[in-house]
Amino acid sequence: MLAVPSLFAADHQWVLKQSTLTYHVSHTLHQSEGVSHAARGKGICHEGQCDFLIAVPVKSFDSGDSNRDLHMIQVTRGAEFPMVTVRTRLPESAATTTTIQADIEIQFAGQTAHYKQLTFAVVTKGSETELTGTIPATLTDFKIDPPSLLTIPVKNEVPIRVEMTWSPQ
Amino acid sequence: MKAKAARVVFGMGIVLIFLLNTFLLNPVALCAQDTTAMLSGTVTDHTGRVLPDVKVTIKNLATGESADTQTNSDGQYTVSNLAVGDYEVSASVAEGASTAHVTLSTGASQKSDLILNAPPPSTEAPPVATPPAASSAAAAETLPEAPSAQKTEPSLEDLGFSKTETQSNAAEQALLDKRTRMLRIHQRMGLITTIPLVATVILGPGSGGKSEGTAIRDLHVALGSLTGDLYGITAWYAIRAPRIAGTEKRGPIRFHEAMAWIHGPGMILTPILGALAFQQKNNGEKVHGLASLHGPVAIVTAGAFGAALLSVSVKF
Repeated sequence: MLAVPSLFAADHQWVLKQSTLTYHVSHTLHQSEGVSHAARGKGICHEGQCDFLIAVPVKSFDSGDSNRDLHMIQVTRGAEFPMVTVRTRLPESAATTTTIQADIEIQFAGQTAHYKQLTFAVVTKGSETELTGTIPATLTDFKIDPPSLLTIPVKNEVPIRVEMTWSPQ
Repeated sequence: MKAKAARVVFGMGIVLIFLLNTFLLNPVALCAQDTTAMLSGTVTDHTGRVLPDVKVTIKNLATGESADTQTNSDGQYTVSNLAVGDYEVSASVAEGASTAHVTLSTGASQKSDLILNAPPPSTEAPPVATPPAASSAAAAETLPEAPSAQKTEPSLEDLGFSKTETQSNAAEQALLDKRTRMLRIHQRMGLITTIPLVATVILGPGSGGKSEGTAIRDLHVALGSLTGDLYGITAWYAIRAPRIAGTEKRGPIRFHEAMAWIHGPGMILTPILGALAFQQKNNGEKVHGLASLHGPVAIVTAGAFGAALLSVSVKF
């Protein structure tokens, strides 16, 4: 009798309620940003550890310029590899801290890159937990040829700003 | 004497065959010292604390053979002389375990760190210093216990994405590749076209009006013709570039395309009017009638072309 509720207590889930992911591209002539609110995510907790998966369609990023977005999809092989997935594992206790450091794995453009000890700010509002931080991604991490405009290539650094709101389920 | 010589020749033959067999016919033997690899790594708990005296098992996935070792006081383990191939590396303590898959290549010295869920043992050990910066894809082996290896982790299906959203579309990728290739040529040709276009416009006032000379006029005509040809090629690559279904046009590209409705007809009209003006000038007449619109039409055309170029190049 006692075992049943403890079993349920051991495993629970987190669900991504809303998110804003923004990539930033720098070029000599101008800067541009692409924003997506289409990410979905889930975290499954077991024995004090939570495995998170966040996924977002490459096509969902909008820079306000359809021509640039199509170029972005082409250069990142977005039709061939339509999803960006982010995986990480965090201790359950992370939700109660003000900052977390996470090792994350990103699959994008047919490549997998790992980023170690990224710092995210954590703000708890009621039952929801907000996470913000920046992933210092580069084009070479994903073997993406830098697109060029007027024969000048964009910079290799493409930082991705992450703003997520998670809720326990 | 002959028999002794024959024995020497036979002996040399045997040695030669042995050497040939060793170094030519059996290249593996030549490289025997490089066919093994070394695997090392650090075992830590999820807080980054190193775990000493943890049993690490390295299993060859092809042969099923396994070897055990233990982490030292710094939580490190090293196994050398491993045959190349795919391995499963696992570490376990009473409270948790971790497994990673590594592929060892010839002569490689590979790292495979393991992170255990277990709480740290009572033995105090300094935490592993981890750089705060991001690593590249090449550092994959430093995170062998990637969450993707865990069975409890959610999948894309759990997130509710449809198959169409997650399915690879090679045909669309090929279309996008073709589109980019053609638009890249369009962009470069547009830039090249600008050079004779500007030169033609600059020479315009000197080739008509009060000027009676024909050298500048001929150069103006030649540069104008070159501009027209290059413009035709530029336009062809834009018009023929594949359209991607379901894409709503937004941003500067709309202005860029709108400008084409001005410089496109202008590029046809300008040489026609120019031919009329050229004929009138060659007849010793003052440029008159429709031909007098050649200059203004050319200016508007060049302006629209420049605006189209800038609209997709510079953010206003």
